[in-house]
Amino acid sequence: MTIEAVSEVEVQLTINGRNHRHRVPSRLLLSDYIRDTVGLTGTHLGCEHGYCGACTVIVDGDAVRSCLMLAVQADGAEVRTVEDLAPTGPDSLSPMQQAFHDNHALQCGFCTAGFLMTLESVDPDRWREPERMRELLSGNLCRCTGYQNIVAAVSEAWSEYDGNGGSNDG
Amino acid sequence: MKPAPFDYCRPSTVAQALEALGSSESSRVLAGGQSLIPAMNFRLTDVSVLVDINRVEGLDTVACDPGGVTVGAAATQTRVLDDDDTASVVGGLRVALRHVGHLQIRNRGTVCGSLAHADPAAELPALAVAAGAMIDVSGPAGERQVAAGDFFLGPFWTALDDGELITRVRFPAPPAGSVTIVDEVSRRAGDFAVAGLVAIVEADGGAVRSARLVGFGLGGAPTRLRTAEAAISGWAADHPSDGLTEAVMADTADAFDDIHATAWYRREAVAALTVRAARRASATRKAA
Repeated sequence: MTIEAVSEVEVQLTINGRNHRHRVPSRLLLSDYIRDTVGLTGTHLGCEHGYCGACTVIVDGDAVRSCLMLAVQADGAEVRTVEDLAPTGPDSLSPMQQAFHDNHALQCGFCTAGFLMTLESVDPDRWREPERMRELLSGNLCRCTGYQNIVAAVSEAWSEYDGNGGSNDG
Repeated sequence: MKPAPFDYCRPSTVAQALEALGSSESSRVLAGGQSLIPAMNFRLTDVSVLVDINRVEGLDTVACDPGGVTVGAAATQTRVLDDDDTASVVGGLRVALRHVGHLQIRNRGTVCGSLAHADPAAELPALAVAAGAMIDVSGPAGERQVAAGDFFLGPFWTALDDGELITRVRFPAPPAGSVTIVDEVSRRAGDFAVAGLVAIVEADGGAVRSARLVGFGLGGAPTRLRTAEAAISGWAADHPSDGLTEAVMADTADAFDDIHATAWYRREAVAALTVRAARRASATRKAA
């Protein structure tokens, strides 16, 4: 059986729980698919070569750089973007988003969606130690904050996660 | 930055993948894509047919037994890094993978893809050479096995012929009681190494008995440091470093200059890392 190589492909996937089906060029990047084809512009494109992490989304549970993946590679996948984080729509914030707001963990905000999706994808218990947390955050570039306030925000959000809104063992 | 147009196919067997690879001179294998797609985004790589092997049956396996670990071509670096059985048999894989990229890169990037890409500054090719890994290759002429020591020919250059692909790699378990050290100088955590070292060291009663030493980031293929391997034997924690440093300098005479560092800096860095590894290994075994 021959597998034909084609310049256009049919892609079917879910983004934030909604089904999408499009015929797209094989070369279309997942990042451009999300922004231009589907119209979800919360995912930002910084460098487009896998360096900055601004375009991080979650594909089947894993944080990935959407500029280093073709849309066709996400065929059949469940994708989540920053638009999926707020619990009750655009006027609400997730606990991590609220912690970013409260701790001034962003200035221009361009990189923020990428940070939020990286953080959303991980088990806090594996990355809670200060050195591990910094290692995790090193995969996303922020040129405004110097990271200190991001670390503060994550620590705060994860301490609340830990005690389910109560006690905090740091 | 977007890739130039290409034709894409997603085979489900190795035979189909080989057929697709053979259909064009500028066909390429897509595994994790964490180096290939940036190169395509930059238009540094000319691809006419892209063969996505991520859904080829049987290539995403990671299999452990007491003698070693076999990693399939589509198995991600995260999968290998997080696998406790793998870490207990070939600890060097976890040690090396912690230096590779960031979480988001490792979630897509593959172990075999890193070998096929053969970036001179990458950790996994150096680990493969130090560990004596065997690489399984499939191609139009059938299957063959290539020792990692014969696989890396130069920067981004391997023994893979046109139309061939890596199907799996086997890392044998290191000698019992040895310690695997992966150490490097890089500008930031997660960046490619300016220079680095993989050392698999056997030590006894506070002294190094033998070691396999492989330098990377020296500009070409991973470099076996054979003079240094002879010089490190008998090393104890308080040993003077001059002889070992000189040996590494002799082993790395082919190092390259580039914008990140001079050849001389790289050689001195690998020498310093080797001395550090020798000290660490002898101290570790003393404590044990």
